[in-house]
Amino acid sequence: MSFQAPLFLLGLIAIPLALAALWRARRRPARYVVRFPAAATVAAVVGRSGRVRRIVPPALLCLSLAGLVTALARPEATVAVPVEKASVMLVTDTSGSMEATDVSPSRLAAAQAAATRFLKRVPKSLQTGLVAYADAPYTVLRPTQDRAQVETTVQSLAASGGTATGDALASALQALGTRDKKSPPAAIVLLSDGASQTGRDPAEVAREARTAGVPIYTVALGTDAGTVSQGGQVLNVPPDPEALAQIAQLSGGRAFRAEDSDALDAVYETLGSRIGTRKEKREISAGFAAAGLLLLGGAAFTSLRWRGRLP
Amino acid sequence: MTAGSQGPGEIQGALVEALDLVIARRGSGALPGEHRANGRGTGTEIQQIRPYQYGDDVRWIDPAASARTGVPHVRDHVPERTLTTWLVVDVSASMAFGTADRLKSDVAEGVGLVIGRLAVRRAGRVGLLTCGTPEPRRLPPRGGRTQLLALRRALTAGVAPDGYVPQDALAASLRQVGRLTRGPGLVVVVSDFREGETGALAAGADDGAAGFGDPAAHRRPPWARALAALGTRHDVLAVEVVDPREATLPDVGHLVLVDPETGARVEADSSSAELRRRFAAAELARRDAVKSHLRAAGARHVEISTDGDWLRALGRSLR
Repeated sequence: MSFQAPLFLLGLIAIPLALAALWRARRRPARYVVRFPAAATVAAVVGRSGRVRRIVPPALLCLSLAGLVTALARPEATVAVPVEKASVMLVTDTSGSMEATDVSPSRLAAAQAAATRFLKRVPKSLQTGLVAYADAPYTVLRPTQDRAQVETTVQSLAASGGTATGDALASALQALGTRDKKSPPAAIVLLSDGASQTGRDPAEVAREARTAGVPIYTVALGTDAGTVSQGGQVLNVPPDPEALAQIAQLSGGRAFRAEDSDALDAVYETLGSRIGTRKEKREISAGFAAAGLLLLGGAAFTSLRWRGRLP
Repeated sequence: MTAGSQGPGEIQGALVEALDLVIARRGSGALPGEHRANGRGTGTEIQQIRPYQYGDDVRWIDPAASARTGVPHVRDHVPERTLTTWLVVDVSASMAFGTADRLKSDVAEGVGLVIGRLAVRRAGRVGLLTCGTPEPRRLPPRGGRTQLLALRRALTAGVAPDGYVPQDALAASLRQVGRLTRGPGLVVVVSDFREGETGALAAGADDGAAGFGDPAAHRRPPWARALAALGTRHDVLAVEVVDPREATLPDVGHLVLVDPETGARVEADSSSAELRRRFAAAELARRDAVKSHLRAAGARHVEISTDGDWLRALGRSLR
């Protein structure tokens, strides 16, 4: 929270001053007191509610004062506003190594689940597209607001073949269309579990993406212990976070690493709030003023009700 | 002299003449008097007739019994002595309160004077101990008109100023009386018995409103223990001075009340019927507790209100 006119916050000094004045007034011998030997009995009868009734109205008054002074300083809250017409491409690796079960239930299944959740989380106005690839990009969905279509496509992915990250990124860039300075923001989320094996060099595509103003967020999925059995042979398929980090760095995005499905979910959550929304400051003086007025009303009501006078 | 004090008012001599300290069972003075004492000694009432032993006064030999039995017999008598009365008068700031005819302290003063006049009769002696002021006033037991004058002077000196908190002063005075007296006598305590109630009531308040109806919820204050200790040797007359306004709270809207002794301020909304009802119940429970403490101490309890004729009320309980 920030303030447009923070100097007015000096008015908060009024609260300790008011409390000090109240304390002094209560200590001063009052003019209209009645000597009463049974005062102890009255105090016992009034009991705790009496103490509450002494404290509540001034407390409410001080809170209302705080609210009104804060409203005067015009506070602003940073809120996440959904970006209009923003689009994001999910580029998902479906190479054979995605069958590895080091990420429960399997790398691909975890990726599918996380992607589905990501689609549910991001703002409705965000356009999402999909590129699934193995030896070459084989499924390309242009950015669309039709979530159901993307979701069914994600669910139908199956793992087999090699890894052609460069080609996949290039087709994702293509799917985003021609871009210039005025185009709405776009981003690519690349989920992969290994280094590029065939096709174009991903670094080169990353540079292209940078010129197009499309950051690539990369997620390295899997652990070093991941294995797949292929034709009776057990192959070790560790992820290649360095290569992915390079892609992210070249394109102006960020690299993440997920070693299990929870971490993957967390990564997608971060991405969802990063890509679909924009931070914006909104003035919230009215809320503070309303709260202050409500508290003022509460202080006046309780004081009139319990002590027969305004605080 | 306290503001608003009007003195005890006229004390009708005829009425005082008709009274006597009949409640005192045993005397202990040095002089022969009218009250029976412990042990053996000179008196008019015969206690027993027994065989003569060496050292017995031959003047007490009973001729008839000796002749009948052939063995010398002596008569023992119940000793009859004068009475020593101790007056313990509460002069704490809470006594300077009264909404009816006079202040509670005025009534206490009058009660003290009347008891003093009755006590010095027939060679009796009266002593005074006040409590509640920073410097307690004390008169050693003496008899005669001069003692009555001293008593009057000490009693009219007024009550403690507001803001002085007597810490168990009544209990301390009662314990002091216990130490000062030699033989059994009469102890008259004049007080409102409000001492040490703050802690007891706070303990009761913690239990909620249910605690007020039950006198057992009040802990036994120190003065009750001291009084019970006195009651084992002496005859105790406890004169409780009350004001009608202390029993009920009037409906006068918001009140700022201050305790005369502690100066603690309490804000209360007396227009709440619930509050007034609970206050009346709490005061009733307090009075009940005082009553049961006095009964447990074996003391005779007299309640005297500031409204009405206190002398008649006292007389009714003394006769």
